Amino acid sequence: MLGLVRKRLVQLVIVLFLLSIFTFSLMKLAPGDPVMAILNADEMMVTEADQVKLRSELGFNQPLYIQYGQWMLGLIKLDLGTSYMSGKPVWNEMMERLPITVQLTVGALLVMVSISVPLGILSARYPGKWPDQISRICALIGASVPSFWFGLMLIYFFAFKLQILPSTGMGTFSQTILPSFALGFSLAAVYARLLRAGLLGSFSEDYIQAARARGVKEWRILWFHAFRAALLPVITVFGLSMGSLLGGAVVIEILFSWPGLGSMAVDAIFSRDYPVIQGYVLLTGVFVVVMNLFVDLSYYLLDPRIKQGKEGTA
Amino acid sequence: MKTNMFSVKKLLILALGLMILIAAGCSAEKSHSDAKGEKTEDDKKVTMIFSFKSPNLDPHTGFTPIRAGVTETLLKLDEHSNIEGWLAEKWETTDNVTWEFTIRDDVTFQDGAKLDATKVKASIERSIAVNESLGGSLKIQSMKADGQKLIITTIEPYPALPSELVNPYTSIVNIAAEKEMGEEAFRNAPVGTGPFQVKKFTPNQEVQVIKNDNYWADKPKINEATIKFNEDANVRALALQSKEADVVYNLPAEGIEAIEKDTALKIESVPGLRSHFVLFNQKSPNVSDIKVREALNLLLDRKSIADDIMLGHAVPANGPFNSNLPFGIDDEVKKLDIKKAKELLREAGYKENDAGKMQKNGKTLKFELITYKARPELPLIAQLFQSDAAKAGVEIEIKMVENADTHLSENSDWDLATYSNNTSPRGDGSYFLNTAFTETGALNVGKINIPELNKLINQLNTTSDLDERIQLTKEAANIINKEIVHSYAVYPNILVGVNNRIKGWAPTAEEYYIITHTLDVK
Repeated sequence: MLGLVRKRLVQLVIVLFLLSIFTFSLMKLAPGDPVMAILNADEMMVTEADQVKLRSELGFNQPLYIQYGQWMLGLIKLDLGTSYMSGKPVWNEMMERLPITVQLTVGALLVMVSISVPLGILSARYPGKWPDQISRICALIGASVPSFWFGLMLIYFFAFKLQILPSTGMGTFSQTILPSFALGFSLAAVYARLLRAGLLGSFSEDYIQAARARGVKEWRILWFHAFRAALLPVITVFGLSMGSLLGGAVVIEILFSWPGLGSMAVDAIFSRDYPVIQGYVLLTGVFVVVMNLFVDLSYYLLDPRIKQGKEGTA
Repeated sequence: MKTNMFSVKKLLILALGLMILIAAGCSAEKSHSDAKGEKTEDDKKVTMIFSFKSPNLDPHTGFTPIRAGVTETLLKLDEHSNIEGWLAEKWETTDNVTWEFTIRDDVTFQDGAKLDATKVKASIERSIAVNESLGGSLKIQSMKADGQKLIITTIEPYPALPSELVNPYTSIVNIAAEKEMGEEAFRNAPVGTGPFQVKKFTPNQEVQVIKNDNYWADKPKINEATIKFNEDANVRALALQSKEADVVYNLPAEGIEAIEKDTALKIESVPGLRSHFVLFNQKSPNVSDIKVREALNLLLDRKSIADDIMLGHAVPANGPFNSNLPFGIDDEVKKLDIKKAKELLREAGYKENDAGKMQKNGKTLKFELITYKARPELPLIAQLFQSDAAKAGVEIEIKMVENADTHLSENSDWDLATYSNNTSPRGDGSYFLNTAFTETGALNVGKINIPELNKLINQLNTTSDLDERIQLTKEAANIINKEIVHSYAVYPNILVGVNNRIKGWAPTAEEYYIITHTLDVK
């Protein structure tokens, strides 16, 4: 297990390095730079000379490898640079937004789990019956309805029509419900189907049949035998979802005024705020790699067979 | 089977329990928000939603502090966009280089410190240090403070200085407070002279302000105000309809009908300072002939843009500046005239071919029109223009780009572009004339260079007499119209949704002064 962790950490460094080169060059290839936005040319009297001056101050006219090298030098000193737009250090900017994204992620996961687990189990217990049909319809809706529309509809009914929940903002529990639901529902749909498939698969396994034959109680079979095995594919996808959730959910963030990492990244991309984009890519890179590591580690706990099989080769 | 049923039952109970829990949570919150709603009436609180979010409250790089009533500037604009005194009660100059500003004697900052010229000087120095482009627009050589007198010397004769001191970026703050609080804390809670002071600020989410009891002018009418930021127009409209917000900026035109039906709400549609227009690339041979530009100018259906695209919340344009401004011109708005446009094209040597397309020397008349999505009405204007031009045998190919400024300045092969600018910020036309028409202007992507116009702009830059400036600005507008370097389409209105409980308040064109001491609730 330690070997795996070590291997993954080495991988992380390589992945982040390649990722940073890749985004840096893509970013610089894209037309435009942040100069006009920094100078606020839409309101302030700005001349071409001002632009040229600022461009050279920011080092934009230097060769790409030098610009990248300078950024890398900063990174080695654990300095991600300063945002052109807000003037804040990129690290502070990200840490200001990370708790918001984490809160949204946790909320969405709670909603996801509380819908998908009962729904998945019910539809696996009664394949083809009404719980299964409901779960199928939910999955279809969840997968096909765009989240901005679903979010708007939630606001329309709960904030405007029924007036029981606030439409936007964050900080209180009530303000967490709608965004969590908007984000968690579409996930729940997918996971309920995954769980159903996993459970159906494990119900037909020999050891379940054997457990039944031994007279083990049905709920015990479900929770301790079938569920555990069914979780494997779910956890795999879960790792991917977690990575993307922690990267921020732009649409939901904008809709509900939750300024998390997603809207930060989109703003940074539009205004060509290079240090913020780079910092964001590194941060999400870390999330994805670490989440995958956790997923791999969880396999050991869920299925001891994997441990035995891999330990020899790893 | 019995155990089987049991587990399902258990699950159902679990699910039901969860739902009850959520419902309970909702209803508990309901009573909570109801209680808050009642309190709002008693406490005289106002909630507004703005469309642009604020990462900090630095008054020298953002407009939110002035909008929230936290900071004030030396000079301000009145409702007719004329410059008047604010923290400076009067100002005078004899040569447009040395300016004497008399700072009001009765003003204190929100922390109790008295405002004097030394403090104003320190604040202006900070603003120039912090803001990348402010130094260039203030052109200050030196400042001298003596009691309530501030002497500003500019680098060159600079009659536009008062107009530049209206700029919210020159907001006056107490630098001593910044030193005490630390830079970072000050950026989130600046100490100004305004009727409201910062109570709580959450970056990119909201700012709460409470009234400043020691405000130098009349006592603020409300106790507290909250400004929230939300970038989604539909959500803003719904928040107004659910009465969560009292004032909502930049409503979507399509959401207006529902709001108008609600008797507790009203729509304020005020003429703004912005212009939507079509830009011609002076470097493109396709539009170098003025007859062609004249023809295109007649193919822009301004009335339809105002009525159908902007749903009546825009005024058809007759020049660069909103016609209701002091320096707006009163020329007639050009009407869609396909026949006349065709005639002009024929005069320019084009003939209709068998397919009805205008053609010269075997080449059909075809333009590339650049548009962008950041202002959703611009692509629609482009489409309308395209369809009307087709009726005159002119082909327009629309190209959507992400960043128009970059595309237009880095490419030279485009012919036309839809564009939008605040053409008269701070109640003066010289910003737009200098940045969009002179050779060195940052917004002159069409490479406009008209000697006659340059001369006028230079003259305007050194003229201080207000009437003369108005006259010169009008003359410049006339040259722009004559040369047709831009085709002005509409002046979009500012759309603000207002709850009827708000009184003593109306949105203003420049969008600087929003939470004021006169803002009140019923």
